[in-house]
Amino acid sequence: MSQSTSSDLILSRRSFLQAASVTAISAAAISTQTEASPEATTVTENPLQEEPINPDFNLASAVTNTEASVATIVLNRMGFGPRPGDREAFNALGANDEARIAAYVEQQLNPDPAQDTEVAQRFIEAGFQTLDKTMNQLWRDHYRNDPGGDWTWTTLPIRETERATFIRAIYSKWQLQEVMADFWHNHFNVNGWESPQRHFFVQYDRDVIRQHLFGNFRDMLEAVAKSPVMLYYLDNESNTRSGPNENWARELFEIHGLGALNYYGVQSQSGLPSHEDNSNVPVGYVDGDVYEATRCFTGWTVSNSTSRGDTGEFMYIDDNHDRFQKSVLAFGAINFPADQGPMVDGLQVLDLIANHPGTAYYMCRKICKRLVNDEPSQTLINSAAAIFQQHVNSPDQIKRVLRHILNSAEFRTGLGNKIKRPFEATVSAMRLGQGDWLFGLDDDTSRFFTNYNRMGQQLFTWPAPDGYPDDKEAWSSSTPMIMRWRMYNYLTAETDENGAYRMPVFESSSAIGSTAPKDVLDYWISQILDRAFTDDEYYLLISFVAQPGNSPTQELPLLLDEEYHRRLRSLVSLLFQTPYFNMR
Amino acid sequence: MIQLNRRNFLKGCSAAIAGMAGAKIGLTAFGNVDNEPNQRIIIPIFLRGACDVLSVVTPMYGDDRAHYETARPDLRIPVSDLIALDSQFGLHPSATALHDIFQDNKLSFILGTGMHSDTRSHFDAMAYMEGGTPNRKGLGGWLTRYLRSATNINDDAIVTNMTTSSSRPRSLSGTFNTLAGSNLQNFNIRNDLHWQYRDQHQSLLQNLYALDDSFLHQAGQEAFEQISYISNNYDSNYTAAGGVTYPNNSFSSQLETIAQIIKLQIGLKVAAVDLGGWDTHDGQANGSDPSSGYFANLLTTLSEGIGAFFADLSAESTNYADRVTIVVMSEFGRRVRENAERGTDHGHGSMMMLIGGQVQGGIKGIWPGLHNDQLYDAADLAVKVDYRQVLSEILIRRMEAPKIGTIFPNYEGYTPLNLVQGVDLEPDYTAEFKSFLPQLQK
Repeated sequence: MSQSTSSDLILSRRSFLQAASVTAISAAAISTQTEASPEATTVTENPLQEEPINPDFNLASAVTNTEASVATIVLNRMGFGPRPGDREAFNALGANDEARIAAYVEQQLNPDPAQDTEVAQRFIEAGFQTLDKTMNQLWRDHYRNDPGGDWTWTTLPIRETERATFIRAIYSKWQLQEVMADFWHNHFNVNGWESPQRHFFVQYDRDVIRQHLFGNFRDMLEAVAKSPVMLYYLDNESNTRSGPNENWARELFEIHGLGALNYYGVQSQSGLPSHEDNSNVPVGYVDGDVYEATRCFTGWTVSNSTSRGDTGEFMYIDDNHDRFQKSVLAFGAINFPADQGPMVDGLQVLDLIANHPGTAYYMCRKICKRLVNDEPSQTLINSAAAIFQQHVNSPDQIKRVLRHILNSAEFRTGLGNKIKRPFEATVSAMRLGQGDWLFGLDDDTSRFFTNYNRMGQQLFTWPAPDGYPDDKEAWSSSTPMIMRWRMYNYLTAETDENGAYRMPVFESSSAIGSTAPKDVLDYWISQILDRAFTDDEYYLLISFVAQPGNSPTQELPLLLDEEYHRRLRSLVSLLFQTPYFNMR
Repeated sequence: MIQLNRRNFLKGCSAAIAGMAGAKIGLTAFGNVDNEPNQRIIIPIFLRGACDVLSVVTPMYGDDRAHYETARPDLRIPVSDLIALDSQFGLHPSATALHDIFQDNKLSFILGTGMHSDTRSHFDAMAYMEGGTPNRKGLGGWLTRYLRSATNINDDAIVTNMTTSSSRPRSLSGTFNTLAGSNLQNFNIRNDLHWQYRDQHQSLLQNLYALDDSFLHQAGQEAFEQISYISNNYDSNYTAAGGVTYPNNSFSSQLETIAQIIKLQIGLKVAAVDLGGWDTHDGQANGSDPSSGYFANLLTTLSEGIGAFFADLSAESTNYADRVTIVVMSEFGRRVRENAERGTDHGHGSMMMLIGGQVQGGIKGIWPGLHNDQLYDAADLAVKVDYRQVLSEILIRRMEAPKIGTIFPNYEGYTPLNLVQGVDLEPDYTAEFKSFLPQLQK
């Protein structure tokens, strides 16, 4: 992105003001369209229409760095943005950026749940009931037991998971863990609101995603393959030798493992060349591999009937398994003899996929794209993929890959080639503004979700197996942009049952010790953005904070108290709404 | 630093979005509104809960009447109450507004439609049907794939798709730019804010986004173009054309909002509407008078709402009625035999209705018959016409969108039923992307 400085202004102030007055006029036209509330007549004049510029406003931002600091970049990529004080804590970790990042990465890669006291306390206050239930308890309590068609009871597991996810992302100190939980939930995406998985989605979040998020990819694949949530979502629950269903097997190759980049379409298994990293395996997969893998997973199902015990847990039924020989990722040669024994065929497919070099490149590209930017360099992908392959059997394989990526120079370079998705945008604003939302089941959190879901990223509801898109194009059309801006308005304006603002903008501002517009603006710029505005941008903002008739460098008159509060909330919302806050 | 224009950048970035750019067809959104041939709009109205279509269009004579009376001792609608549609069928007496359009030859009842799937679960059936993927879930909605693959959507369109339902219908699952909600009052950022600063706040942000040209700056500038357009044109005190008054209920006011957006000419292609409450397991009709009661009231809502909407669109000098195709559909039908609670249980085959200026009115489709041998599973109306055949014809002839293999994966062998006017483009059965998500392929 192009960051203009005082030396290369896009517009001179004079020409800018001419342009600005055009938009000010259109804003005035808008206001005449709205209801003629009695207050509307008292709307103050837009300062931009005033000429000439009051020389008092010809000031420069106290924040001078024109690019986001390394602390800001790191905290926005390894986490959901800083809370007040986090940048300072990061900067105290070492003598230079490399040392600080290395220390921070080690902290974050080794989370101690006992230190997450705020999350624990908030979980107690929210009164969650299902997060510790076993798969069998979830199945019995919320699926088989449906007291009077009580929707609120049967969907408690998915709703509590959704709320717990917000609490953790906003209030946990283990931010990388939360970023990776979000990554894996999207990589192994399930529509958690579909039935029946909504009745026991807790199992997926806890035992599959969070259990393995820093662990071993092959172990994670197996946990996914055996989760009742995935077994239902991609229909392997009904995959039998007499009625095969290829849905799971296809997505296992295309989305979870090798990736569509390594798909060679409808052609013979024997026609593929070898992979350049490993001559023992073909370069990618074809439809034949999907069909053969489908046969390998026949009989992997759920204990979901009386005759099966009805526990709701994973179950293998040998009678439903296709026992004959098969060929998967082997140039058409038989690498699966008949009658290998219970589950061996399926487990072997997982081995082949986890060990295939195509998987290493695909996974590392995807992780880099999530953590670094939309177009990570091939160099970084390749070096990460080498570690992925070298440690394919290590229990901390994923941790090693992350350590490599996060310590790379590319990781800490400038923001701009990625935008925050709605989840990151929302959580990062709530962290910076110290928002206090309870996320219980019967409070005003429903208003939060009404506003949040309008942005288009309701958690765990993406219908397709590929997860929410991770490209800036997907999130930048007009409706999601407008709904994102509106979300920031909501966050800065929401009050609790006692009328107290859930985001304490006024209370935080009292720490400034001054109500002079320049002090207030500089404080919030440093808190929220930690980077300078251009003179033109700064002028717009300082004019707003001061309003006509007030000096930008002198304390605002106290009689403006109520107005001042409103102005502060608008200012904070505006800073959240700027392009800079929404970059990642 | 040289920056590409964001729209061009988008075209360069993604093959599928590049496809959408297509041929320039003039400014539907901002320009001259009259006689814009490319503004064609599909309006699916989904009757949630499985509508008892046998109570909408009912056999009046012959063996089928006898079978019907036997199966429905309490719910049967007397011949004397039915509005005759042809020599065989009659319409429920509550649907007089629909009958008016039928007589105008702009409404068709397509009998025997449905989905080849043996599910009787509402949830599964809706997911399959609205996914456009019978017996398969999880690939997003058919309307989403239509929007993603369409080649004639104008670059300057402001709102291409909308839903007035409180939750997004599965047919639009996977879209990002759906305008949701029943009005455009809040298609801006100022209305959330305190009156004192709302206008300053909004114009200040607009000015901030105008000061640079990064990707996000450009995205913000486009959003502000749309805010300005809507703010200057959307009228919360809308007056319908031709002296039409919409009935005072939620369904009708949703259609009223859609009518206004159609008339704004901002590039609308899809407007999805829901009408729920059709799961009539008990108390479907009054005991003393089967032509009245719960079902009759719900059908009145449907009929009068569509009647007002269509009259409003038809009364303008620009004949918007010619541009719209309304499709009324439901996830499946109901059991032919009534139950003990004066209701009907989940069935199989259904019926669709089409309404539009370019619709060929009449009774269409294939009547499945009520004789026991003709019933599905000896209990339900059979499916004689795949619902995708009907939708495909609308896509090809009205929307000029022949990518059937992309919109309805694995559906083949389409032939037109001559339900709507239009040109028969060659159906393209190749799947452009596996799911609706082109990014996946990169």
